[in-house]
Amino acid sequence: MTRTPRSTTRRSLLGGLLAAAAVPALAACSSGITSLDGQGGGGTGGGSSAGGITIGTANFTENQVLGYLYAEALQAAGVKTKVRANLGTREILIPALEGGDIDLLPEYQGALLHYLDPKAKATEEGEMQNALAIALPKGLQILPYGMAEDSDAFVVTPGTARKYGLTSLADLAKQNGKLVIGAAPEVKKRTVGAVGLKDVYGVEFKEFKSLDSSGPLVKGALKKGDVDVANLFTTDTDIIAEGWVVLTDPKNLIPGQHVVPLIADRAADSTVRRALARLGAALTTKDLTELNRLVDKDKKDPEDVAHGWAAAHGLAEK
Amino acid sequence: MTIDWSWISDHASDLATLTVSHLQAALTAVLLGLLISLPLAVLAHRVRPLRGFLLGLSNILFTIPSIAVFVLLLPVSGLTRTTTVIGLTVYTLVVLLRNTVEGLDSVPARTREAAKAMGTRPLRVLLTIELPLALPVIMAGVRIATVMSISLVSVATYIGDGGLGQLFTDGFQRNFPTPVIVGIALTLLLALVADALLVAVQYALTPWKRKRA
Amino acid sequence: MYELFADLGTWLTGAEQWQGPDGIAHRLTEHLQYSLLATLIATVIALPIGLLIGHTGRGAFLAINLSSFGRALPTVGLVVLVFLASGLSMTPVYVALVALAVPSIVTNTYAGMTAVDPEVKDAARGQGMRGHQILWQVELPLALPLIMTGLRLALIQVVATATVAAYVSFGGLGRYVFDGLAQRDLVQVLGGAVLVAVVAVVLDLALSGLQRILFRHRTA
Repeated sequence: MTRTPRSTTRRSLLGGLLAAAAVPALAACSSGITSLDGQGGGGTGGGSSAGGITIGTANFTENQVLGYLYAEALQAAGVKTKVRANLGTREILIPALEGGDIDLLPEYQGALLHYLDPKAKATEEGEMQNALAIALPKGLQILPYGMAEDSDAFVVTPGTARKYGLTSLADLAKQNGKLVIGAAPEVKKRTVGAVGLKDVYGVEFKEFKSLDSSGPLVKGALKKGDVDVANLFTTDTDIIAEGWVVLTDPKNLIPGQHVVPLIADRAADSTVRRALARLGAALTTKDLTELNRLVDKDKKDPEDVAHGWAAAHGLAEK
Repeated sequence: MTIDWSWISDHASDLATLTVSHLQAALTAVLLGLLISLPLAVLAHRVRPLRGFLLGLSNILFTIPSIAVFVLLLPVSGLTRTTTVIGLTVYTLVVLLRNTVEGLDSVPARTREAAKAMGTRPLRVLLTIELPLALPVIMAGVRIATVMSISLVSVATYIGDGGLGQLFTDGFQRNFPTPVIVGIALTLLLALVADALLVAVQYALTPWKRKRA
Repeated sequence: MYELFADLGTWLTGAEQWQGPDGIAHRLTEHLQYSLLATLIATVIALPIGLLIGHTGRGAFLAINLSSFGRALPTVGLVVLVFLASGLSMTPVYVALVALAVPSIVTNTYAGMTAVDPEVKDAARGQGMRGHQILWQVELPLALPLIMTGLRLALIQVVATATVAAYVSFGGLGRYVFDGLAQRDLVQVLGGAVLVAVVAVVLDLALSGLQRILFRHRTA
């Protein structure tokens, strides 16, 4: 019932006290924590996927594609799965994961880390993986991250870029109080969002317009000129198609966003770890971008494009 | 805005699943609403001070946006079908409670007194005289509540449920009108069929009305 | 639960919460604007239809079925459909709200007209009144209580449903509900819901007050 994610403060304090060297020790004594080399997998987590796994996905296309890809990989490994698509935002999904409504969720390293610990400093993939292991609430763990990456991007139209001389996020601060930003409502309270832009770059917008996650509202508003700056995903093919300008991030506000499975301890066993690690090692950013395009532009079903990809990569159920 | 007919035929089984899930949520809510509102209505009918309170409360519930009710239930029942059903039940109560009270009011006091004078026990009077006579008004409420629930289920798409409502968010996110049109058409069809069935049920339940007609 | 309501008090009374583009004052104004305009458009469309059906006695079947049809129409679907057809504007919201309000007004107006005692109408005709005179001077005043009931019902539904404007990027009190959902900020959701309920109740009381004034004038 509070506005900040639960137990963040205590855990980030814990994170600060522990030097990086102490992390393996913590991992060793805490059951179900992910392997720390980033690509390990295996291990005994104490969980079991025997009863089937419910995969939840967030309210944007790519997350649904990833959810169905997870389902393909798990089914191929003999795990029963159920996908619950379009459940909402991370803010809604993580409590649902803790509460048992879902067991597994496709996540993004940096965004997840900043949700759990808004003051997190880690930017390199391995570091983030460690920081995540510490910041996660009890009962949840992350598995090795995948190759594919989808970052947040703040984009402007070429016209806006020229008019205000914008090339980087730092340039936004010179126009404080003049520009309107459009993003999904949750981005208003996120570090990788309005909060971080203010803290790191000193940017203050004239207005924050609550729209959607790289969807029709935010892109429509950017085209119409209702917003000057839009928060989109780097895997959105419209950025290139429309010739939008992605503002650079010289102070590294936006962390690396490799796709990473977030799973409840109760469902994590070695079969699941292996299956998702194989998927993560095979799926590239380019693949993911193309799958998104197939769903958004060609109106294919996310489950169909996921199946097509998995079959082509030998990861689908035989 | 064109309809992609092949999408519809390709998704026939998905659409059937969503329709069944949609109907199940709406009907469960109406049944629960009836179970809750019947005793409450009897109470409101008998105890005057309670009547204003209960009807007033249900009127206020009606002014709260349904999406807010679903979201506020999240800490209680999570992202589940239960949340959808509880939320919908709240709205059926508004209609069912009012109509059931009005139905009981419509029973002539003389009829009730006559039954009592003949030594019939109060519970028996309620079950064999008052409720059957109140049935037409109660059934009118059930029909409204059913149609309203069928229409409201789709709001639960914002919390990941919502039956046919999932077609709306899907079409919205992908700029794809076909699922949206199909979703609206199926919702209207469900409502129409359910309403017609309820008319038939009412006809079967009130034989005395037929004889008189 | 207790904590939630305590936080609600803080949320509702915070001075900064009332100011700026996302402040309560602004959102409240937007919400009133959407609701009143939609109800007004609906009244302009629905009142003549209801009066005509009631006066002529033709099309009653339409009036009754329209109300059932209107209740079944899923607002979210309608908003999305009109959005996809017409693009990003307030049009989808107004179309959906008007579609929601029209049936209540038509059916109640019709019901009000049919409730007028035929003998009264005959008497008026006997006094040499013409059709339109009977409509304006006899039927309409007598049907007014039920017409007002329909208007009040429509307004309450519209106020509660105007939250959907926030789904397609616009403002109003629904902003708090949708933003609160995305941010899992239940205090904000509850705050939005309470404000919507207050607006609905206040507008309903205002209309019922208006109704009473109109009545007193009639019967005096």
